[in-house]
Amino acid sequence: MISAFEFYKCNIDIATEPESLKDYDVLVLAGVGNFKTASEGLKKHNLWNSLNEEVVKNKKPILGICLGMQLFADVGYEGGETRGFGWIKGKVVKIEDNTVRVPHIGWNKVVSDGDTLLFKGIKDEYFYFMHSYYFLPENMDTVVATTRYGHTDIVSCVRKDNIMGVQFHPEKSQSVGLKLIHNFMTENL
Amino acid sequence: MIPKRIIPVFLLKGSRYFKGTNFKEHIDVGDPLSQAMIYDAQGSEEIVIVDIEASTKNRLIDTSLITKIVRKCRLPITAGGGIKTIGDARKCFDAGADKIIVNSHVVKNPDLIKELAAEFGSQSVVVSIDVKKNANGGYDVFTFSGTHKTNNRVEDVIGKVVENCAGELLVTSIDNEGTLSGFDCGLYMKIRSLVPVPLIASGGSGCYGHMVRLFNETDVDACGLGKMLFLRDYDIVRIKAYLNGKGVFARDA
Repeated sequence: MISAFEFYKCNIDIATEPESLKDYDVLVLAGVGNFKTASEGLKKHNLWNSLNEEVVKNKKPILGICLGMQLFADVGYEGGETRGFGWIKGKVVKIEDNTVRVPHIGWNKVVSDGDTLLFKGIKDEYFYFMHSYYFLPENMDTVVATTRYGHTDIVSCVRKDNIMGVQFHPEKSQSVGLKLIHNFMTENL
Repeated sequence: MIPKRIIPVFLLKGSRYFKGTNFKEHIDVGDPLSQAMIYDAQGSEEIVIVDIEASTKNRLIDTSLITKIVRKCRLPITAGGGIKTIGDARKCFDAGADKIIVNSHVVKNPDLIKELAAEFGSQSVVVSIDVKKNANGGYDVFTFSGTHKTNNRVEDVIGKVVENCAGELLVTSIDNEGTLSGFDCGLYMKIRSLVPVPLIASGGSGCYGHMVRLFNETDVDACGLGKMLFLRDYDIVRIKAYLNGKGVFARDA
């Protein structure tokens, strides 16, 4: 993740102190683990409230990646029912489809309406996915892109004002992933 | 349907990259970082890096090597070798690995898979199983880089591994590995129905036709490549062009 952003000569740090979040121009929320352990981890390091403050009150641009995007939801069910940030109304549920493999692992096509800034110059490209749960927003206006997997249209990009999230891993998606990161930086810096 | 994944599998001994035949007679085939950069540039779907001496020598893969590769490549990296605790796995993830790969220690102790999956998410836990055909036509499972024969049948090990929430399985035929004689398609046909998660076939690929046959005859999701890439004149771009021409769905690189 860090090296992908450094590719565009951005200064990027791993934020560990809650009070340091206000010093950054943009935030990236990545995630390892599951919905429950990740939200507990953010709370344990006192980052939960500071993130809320920066994103909701100060309208700082944020890009959530994979689990980071899922945490935008009201609630997730991975590892047990857990509250998310609730920035974008909806829930995170398991892919239930016995015609495909779960976890959804590999490169899949991301279809966007093509007009949004994040997908500028990117049309129907393949990005790398690695997940068993996906975000189901209540308001479909927040959906920027979807990805077909078996019977499910997985929401692969959401946006509400300053809050942007992708289910795939742009930092692991070779040149097209770098392009998306570049679009995010160009718009927000 | 999603494209079949083409995955170079790097076998390490310490900091160098080695390739053998039937898990023996290893020769040095290069520097892991430069090789990883080449296959990233050619558009492989991901890379697997395993230190094949780690478990035998009771150590962990050199995690600084993972970091070096992750910093220069823009594709998913699965890393392993000698992982036997949550702490070992965390060192690999902290170094930048996207997934970890486990073998010897989870065949012995399948509960470890469940612990790893609970901590890191099952999508990040790849279980590798090495098998050899026995006289009865079944398959025995070997650990510690093929040096230790377990008393388990492959079906039983797969059952345990799946039950404990492995996110993916990589199954290698020791008989075919490094022989360039083709994949053991019978093996993957036999086990596919037991594996609800993605299945990666590995061992034996030597030409385009072997891969076409694997993907046409079996329903595996990905294949691992070794000698064919590193000691023969093949590259990922041409492999994918060939596969697409033969009706196998591969991602354009």
